[in-house]
Amino acid sequence: MQFQKEVEISAPREKVWQFIWDVDRFISCVPGCKDAKTIEEGKRYTATMVEKVGPFKVEFPTMIEVIEREELSRIKAQASGADNKIGSRMKVDLDVSLRTQDDKTILGFVAGVDILGKLAALGHGIIKRKADQVLDEFAQAVKQKLEGDS
Amino acid sequence: MLRRFRLEEPDSVTQVSELLGRFGDNAKIYAGGTELLLAMKEGLVRYERLINVKGVKGLSDVVVDNGTVRIGALCTHRQVETSSMLQQKLPALVKLEQNVANVRVRQAGTIGGNLCFAEPHADPGTLLMALGAKMVAEKSSAKREIAAEEFFVDAFETSLEADEVLTEIRIPTPGANSRSAYLKFGYLERPSVGVALALTVNAGTISDTKIAVGCAGPAPRRVAEAEALFDGKGTQEAMRNLPAAGVIAGRAAEAISDLHGSQEYKEHIVGVLLKRAFQSLVS
Repeated sequence: MQFQKEVEISAPREKVWQFIWDVDRFISCVPGCKDAKTIEEGKRYTATMVEKVGPFKVEFPTMIEVIEREELSRIKAQASGADNKIGSRMKVDLDVSLRTQDDKTILGFVAGVDILGKLAALGHGIIKRKADQVLDEFAQAVKQKLEGDS
Repeated sequence: MLRRFRLEEPDSVTQVSELLGRFGDNAKIYAGGTELLLAMKEGLVRYERLINVKGVKGLSDVVVDNGTVRIGALCTHRQVETSSMLQQKLPALVKLEQNVANVRVRQAGTIGGNLCFAEPHADPGTLLMALGAKMVAEKSSAKREIAAEEFFVDAFETSLEADEVLTEIRIPTPGANSRSAYLKFGYLERPSVGVALALTVNAGTISDTKIAVGCAGPAPRRVAEAEALFDGKGTQEAMRNLPAAGVIAGRAAEAISDLHGSQEYKEHIVGVLLKRAFQSLVS
């Protein structure tokens, strides 16, 4: 599943960049994400993703690895996790980009998400819709946090 | 494999509601079990307790009372499809039920369970919406009616509160000139698209149109905007408005691309089924 999203933030690029690396604040914008920990500064992090569709709940202990980093403009990361109770795995390839437009910053996300295992029985459409909602809420939360600070 | 769970066997709605309130997410109502037990066997959901409601009396009757058809939430699909009274009052619902899954599912599965599980590809909710149905939700201290439009929130999600129990479905008895139809299309086990249409024709003029679409998106949706293209119109004019109504209804379905078909395909099929439903009712 491929997702693409851009959010326009009324804040300078440096500030958005700093925010992304402030793990606790950044993770607090991801709906259902908790217990974020830094394993290796700027490189490896862990967190737990908890999501719910009706009665179906998943809890993915997730490892996030930063693969590439271009100062102030791009981060490439990979996240993977498994919910052993449900017997499902998740893998996310994330490309985050920043660019300046007038006095604003455009924060872009391109995510390739693979869900494997029993969770897939819910149907691709339902999972995609949920992931879309999570990404939307996340983008709005980032915007609000950053613009609220200025 | 089905994991171990504790089975609660209450004999009143109040007790069911109290159990739901006490055990929260760790408990689930168990009626026919045709969807819940499958999900549990697959390990997709886990509950410490199942609350077997089959012993609760008075929830499996079909009665007509003051212009309202009342169907108990524990009525099985089979009961609905074989009810001579429903055949007379709501033939479209009987026809729909005759085509739900297979006879083994219909024999065990209940209409209330079907509505509460809110599986996006389920049939009954869509027609009930077009029939103006209301769901009766009860808990220890209160009872309320929820219009079908308000009942379905999202995929697998209803507006029932955590300790509320669906006890009855109330459908206004259609008038002499009212007609309704439900058409579905699918090539896999579950339908890709379902369209329900109800309307009244008096002296060649259409009124009280209700259109609902389901299966294509996360939950059944009423399409009031398309209904306006039929209400107050003569049958010929309404016929001419069918393509526009189909486009509006297709969009309203919030169709999702999946193995059952792409979004565009499902939107197109909504229009096709709406046209066929209309032609079957107004000819």
